[in-house]
Amino acid sequence: MNAIKVILQRRAIGEVSTRAYATTKKKIPDPDEEEQLPIFKYPVSKSSDRRMYVTHAACGYGFTVASIKTQEQHKVFGTGINTDSQIGYHSPRRGHPLELLVSPAPIYIPYKSLETTVIGMDAGRAHTAILTDNEGVFTIGNNAYGQCGRKINANEEYRGSMVSHNIKRLGKENVTDVVCGQDHTLFVTESGKVYACGWGADGQTGAGNFESQEYPALVRGDITSERIVSVASTGDCVLALNESGELFGWGNSEYGQVPMATAQHQVNMSYSLLGLTKGIGRIVDIATGGSFCIICNENGDVFVWGYGLLGLGPNVQHTAKPKQIPSALFGRNEFNPECKVEKVACGISHLAAITNNGDLYMWGRNRHGCLGLGSKKDQYFPLRVSIGANVMNVRCSVDHTVAICKPFM
Amino acid sequence: MLKIRDAVAAFKTLNGLICVYKPPCVPVKQVQHAIISNLCRDLNALPDRPREQRVEIAGPTNQPMSVKLVPNYADDPLVCGPRYIKDDFRCILGINDGTKLTYLINTSRLTRAYKIHGVLGKATDTYFWNGKLVEKSTYNHVTRERIDGVVAHMQAAHQKTMFQLAGVHMESQTMYELASQGTIRPGNSNLPVIYGLKCVHFKPPHFTLEVQAVNEYDKYLWTLIHDLGVQLKTSAHCTAVQCIRHGKFDLELALLRKHWQLEHIVGNMDQCRQLMEENENMLYPKSATLSV
Repeated sequence: MNAIKVILQRRAIGEVSTRAYATTKKKIPDPDEEEQLPIFKYPVSKSSDRRMYVTHAACGYGFTVASIKTQEQHKVFGTGINTDSQIGYHSPRRGHPLELLVSPAPIYIPYKSLETTVIGMDAGRAHTAILTDNEGVFTIGNNAYGQCGRKINANEEYRGSMVSHNIKRLGKENVTDVVCGQDHTLFVTESGKVYACGWGADGQTGAGNFESQEYPALVRGDITSERIVSVASTGDCVLALNESGELFGWGNSEYGQVPMATAQHQVNMSYSLLGLTKGIGRIVDIATGGSFCIICNENGDVFVWGYGLLGLGPNVQHTAKPKQIPSALFGRNEFNPECKVEKVACGISHLAAITNNGDLYMWGRNRHGCLGLGSKKDQYFPLRVSIGANVMNVRCSVDHTVAICKPFM
Repeated sequence: MLKIRDAVAAFKTLNGLICVYKPPCVPVKQVQHAIISNLCRDLNALPDRPREQRVEIAGPTNQPMSVKLVPNYADDPLVCGPRYIKDDFRCILGINDGTKLTYLINTSRLTRAYKIHGVLGKATDTYFWNGKLVEKSTYNHVTRERIDGVVAHMQAAHQKTMFQLAGVHMESQTMYELASQGTIRPGNSNLPVIYGLKCVHFKPPHFTLEVQAVNEYDKYLWTLIHDLGVQLKTSAHCTAVQCIRHGKFDLELALLRKHWQLEHIVGNMDQCRQLMEENENMLYPKSATLSV
């Protein structure tokens, strides 16, 4: 043993001496270093991340934001890409804002009262929306298409920007839910109305046109008379759910996510999807990906339609009608007849579902190991992710996934 | 209960499987020994076959000799010993020809259901009650709901290994079709797979889990209890493992020690035979889907 130790020591010395630290102590930048960054094939949680309990989290394109319940100024933290100040202004040196954060840092938001709590958040391609209980919505980040809900300024510099925008109320009502698509933002108010702003080339703002929407405007069409309880959007397609569990949709429909009578690929007004979801029953949760949609009903059955790795095996790539993923894949069998899916989530090309037992199942494209299944291979049907805790919520984005968990004990 | 007239007929029917309840702390060898010696005892007590006769030709050779049959003392149980001795039987789980069936039952990988009894708060080095105590901990925080939660997760984790052990490529259509049918039999007999796991009794510190599994072995079930203890932030060890079902053979069918007698064994063998005729694919599974 001692002999081995000696050899190791000598090796270490040899290595240090061969490195070119000649005059300065500065480390020579390694061009391959970026490729050596770790890909987390398994779910990871650092002990240093566990000091406060995260209440809400959101995944954007290459960044993650999370909120904690506190009476202090710093309620929201962000980490990842920050090219458009989507996770706030961070500059260790004046005039040199960071474009990439490698660990969570607090995002400065000008709250009026420190007793305000964050009750929801979502992130898009390069913007973040934070919903508070009595100060409305705060939006930060890119506003090139009006996704922050303020006037578009073509010359605005988003890198190193300190601007945050506050949308207090919409139509004299409090906002109860906020959802970010790729470059658009959707707001649900107390009375179940839906407002949208941002990129509208696919009709995802539902305003009846294909223009970018600067200020949040009511979504037109079938949902104006409905009381909407939840809205889902990750890419350019939007689904909405009313209080009696009926489905509505608008936005991108290139793969038949929102099927219309005419072959229309951009739906710019909300339409009821009652015909599509006939026989499915009361829908309890919805999610949309880049080219597909997923819903789950009150019996805990999961239905998918659209194009991509839907979870129906390698042979099924496209389905126009909602097709059920066999519930046996979510652990329902003769030994566990009670097992059912309660929540679903979508990234651009991967899908997730949470069962009533708190198990997380994932499938789809495994870009950069975002499925957390321990491999980098694509998964063609739902497979359980090994997380040693009850999964409460899961958020997916283009190539990473965040799950909020509760320990067993 | 069928009436057994004589020992020869009884011995001929003794070809098949029986289902026996093995009492705790009794080795399998001892159970076999007890059953076989009981069988010998009962067979020997039954009306015996007629004793062989000996032809005796007696009398002077120059006169007509008398030919008569006399009892053959060489065939007398008092001389040659009891009719049925232990060496006449082959017994693993089945008796005589039934031993071939036991091989089939082993290879067809039927699910077995167990009740595992555990105690919270103490850990032993063997994970079983007979080991040395290595750790003591508090368990007041453990509730029934929490056990249920952890147990559900452990079960779901095995669901995943079940797919991985099926011996089919994960990215193939075959795998999808297999997986969507539900439970799959493992492709080899090395790694244990748990299909169902639930807590059926909880009275701190004692608790009981009910497990449906394939390929499991006693030590594996003990470690299951130990792992559960760790996940519950306390410690636990196993106090008893009770098999309550093996394929279609359940506790109703199992013979208690007091019934290890010839007539009960013959009756039990008959029931087992009927059961196997009804469920023919139990022994010759055609698909990887778990049916029993």
